[in-house]
Amino acid sequence: MNFRQMAADRHTYAADWKARTGGKVADYFEPYFPEEIAYAAGILPVRVLAEHEPDVISDKWIYGACFPARDMINQFLRGRMDYMDGLVNVEGCQWIFNAYEVITNNKPALFRHYLFLPDYTDSTTSKDVLRSELAVFRERLEAWTGRDITDEKLDHAIAVYNENRLLLRRICELRRADRPVLTGSEYMDMLLANQVMDKAEMNGLLEQFLRELEGRQPGRDTIRLMLIGSETWNSDLERLVESLGGNVVVDELDNGTSYFWNPVYPQKDRLMALALRYLGRPHNPVKDNNWRRRPEHIFELAEDYHVDGAIISKQIYCHLHGTDNYAVWRLLRERHIPFHYMERDMSVPEEETALRLEAFLNQVRAGATRLAGWHRKAVL
Amino acid sequence: MKGQRWETRPLDCWQLAKELRRSYDNSLADSSIVLGNGTTNFYVDWQVAFPAIVVAEDNPIGAMMAQQNEAFARKARLASEVRGWGREICGYHNNCWGAQFLGRTADGKPFPERQFTVPFPCVCDSHIKRGQQCRDYKPIARWTNDFTMYIGERDEKREEAMLDHRNFNTLKQLNEIESVFGQRLDDGKLFELARNCRLLKQYMTNVSYFMTFTPSPLSVKDLYSFFQLGGLAKIGPEKAVHFWKTLRDEVEWRVQNQIAAVGSERFRWIEAHPPSWHFLKYYRYMEKYGAVCLGSQYTHFSQSQLERKPDGSIGERSYPVYDPDMELTTREDAVRFMTGPDARAPHHFKIDEYLRPYALNEFADVFHADGAMFGLWRSGVGCAVTRKEQAMRLRQAGYSVMCYEGSQPGDRVDLDEKRLIDQLDTWMESLGLEKLEDV
Repeated sequence: MNFRQMAADRHTYAADWKARTGGKVADYFEPYFPEEIAYAAGILPVRVLAEHEPDVISDKWIYGACFPARDMINQFLRGRMDYMDGLVNVEGCQWIFNAYEVITNNKPALFRHYLFLPDYTDSTTSKDVLRSELAVFRERLEAWTGRDITDEKLDHAIAVYNENRLLLRRICELRRADRPVLTGSEYMDMLLANQVMDKAEMNGLLEQFLRELEGRQPGRDTIRLMLIGSETWNSDLERLVESLGGNVVVDELDNGTSYFWNPVYPQKDRLMALALRYLGRPHNPVKDNNWRRRPEHIFELAEDYHVDGAIISKQIYCHLHGTDNYAVWRLLRERHIPFHYMERDMSVPEEETALRLEAFLNQVRAGATRLAGWHRKAVL
Repeated sequence: MKGQRWETRPLDCWQLAKELRRSYDNSLADSSIVLGNGTTNFYVDWQVAFPAIVVAEDNPIGAMMAQQNEAFARKARLASEVRGWGREICGYHNNCWGAQFLGRTADGKPFPERQFTVPFPCVCDSHIKRGQQCRDYKPIARWTNDFTMYIGERDEKREEAMLDHRNFNTLKQLNEIESVFGQRLDDGKLFELARNCRLLKQYMTNVSYFMTFTPSPLSVKDLYSFFQLGGLAKIGPEKAVHFWKTLRDEVEWRVQNQIAAVGSERFRWIEAHPPSWHFLKYYRYMEKYGAVCLGSQYTHFSQSQLERKPDGSIGERSYPVYDPDMELTTREDAVRFMTGPDARAPHHFKIDEYLRPYALNEFADVFHADGAMFGLWRSGVGCAVTRKEQAMRLRQAGYSVMCYEGSQPGDRVDLDEKRLIDQLDTWMESLGLEKLEDV
């Protein structure tokens, strides 16, 4: 299954899907986008993925932004996303908001919607305000597409997306094994492809992939790492880690495990069920404000997946991770989990990163330092 | 003075402003008060209704640090960085919380640790996280609120749930501060604050309006000294209203008598968002060319309150901030008043840039500007977002725009001061202006 190619061919896929189904395509940025509602309206939700490309366009429009935000503008202004009929932004990162604003100002004919998802996710009233916003979004989509989004259609969409989450989780669970059957790069390629494809189609591919994985022999015994930090847009870092004798066995990325970690628990009020799902998912820094759940979630993943160490990879100019890292570093240090911190943009400078990662891997290689094997030392 | 066209003189209310600022600074070091971090409300300063609560933000403390003591500010930022903070985080936060890690302030006094925090998510990402820092550092009490927004025409029905959300969280916070710190909130005083805020807002808007006249009675340098008073620098309702009325009256008199902030005014320029706090001298430098800075939508009381009306006149923006006729009988009433009837208030100055790509064009028009100068800040997302596009739209409208790079309140060495001065010379000369001393 060449998931990497699928993610690379996403523009062609979306254009073909449109031609094949006659449906509309709505792109989105934030993984908090309630895809189920769009899907219920017969829309293909496509995550805008950034890539690495020399850019002489975005500088006119945006300054100081993270590179993914710049590249999204670059791709759009180069006409790569001409198939897009609508663009939705969910309250989140400000650089992405700037990209949303530039794109929609450049193409006023696009259906555009800003969905407010509280940054204060834990308030008693957060679910009510989000439910209200979801109702507004449903109305806007109905007006745009001319289709009713009935409860039955929502039920179907929720079932398709829950199935998708379940399959991704089952594949993720295989990574707990001492010698996982899949590598971190394969896994990340799969997740990225998943975010640009029709979920019903993707579910079929995932089932097939799961069967393939179940028939595989255990992989190499490697240093087990966790990836923390800003969203990733390709699997280059994972590949580099693998070339050095490590394997990313779990991540805490917004477009990684956090994307599928919790399902929608169906209830009579479908929109409330969706509101609770999106407010209850593992949060990224912008949403992890009051009740700080992110550091503990990271620790749980580290324990559950028996990681030897963590890589914290921050996009340059990512203010949210830049401020959240204090709590994450502190937790990792307190619990003696070795970590390597690095900044990156859309590309990974291979030689330099390899050198630093090699030094880090030597540090966590079992027996090399007092930190190595931290998770095996507990005496009960 | 060469090139003088208007009479100029210092403001009479300078002394009063300095005294008020000093009293605010002293209040932060008062050990008998409970010091919190965060925001209260731009106009309704609810902390004053508690017997001994002071709420301070990391701004303006962090902003001033690089200007007052750059060596200390660098140490503070390093202390943040080694604990995980990004290099590009806004210096307001990096400076202030770095000082917290060091345990002292720039003048060597113990860092005033916060006893509670009120993180208030805002359209600036750095601000979203600011209130969290002192809570991550130490287990203090915290209350959070939300900054609600959406894009497009106002939709009052859509706003109902947003307003309920914000009101609930504010009410919860005030009630819990009472329980946690054992201090009674005086509702009568809260109502009085709400009544006073109507006046405060009116006086601030008047001052802003007077700056649309030529010559401008104030420059942005003056405004920066005043706009915190009653805003972020909490001084109490009576003092705030008295100060702003005094200032309003004096500025009105200056307009009537054509008393200029810059006697040689012949070029009016605007900015967008805060300046490089450690290099404010560029304002004075521009005066050598007879150029006066009128400020930005940021300095004009955070709301860019003026707009061009259909009949061509300049008037107050039509969106509601507070309901002047609202009756106040309960604490909930006061909270609803503070939040206001508009779920997107009070940060219109930021939303404007998303809602209306031409927001700064209107600002330039209202203030009769000739040009604009924008800092492109490498640290502080809220101050850099949309800036390039705004500059492009101003240029399309015929304004001359000069951009320069720096790090705002962050690292001073990130701003090449000599290069900026060269850029200013080139900009002015390209517009046919010479230094008045050379004329």
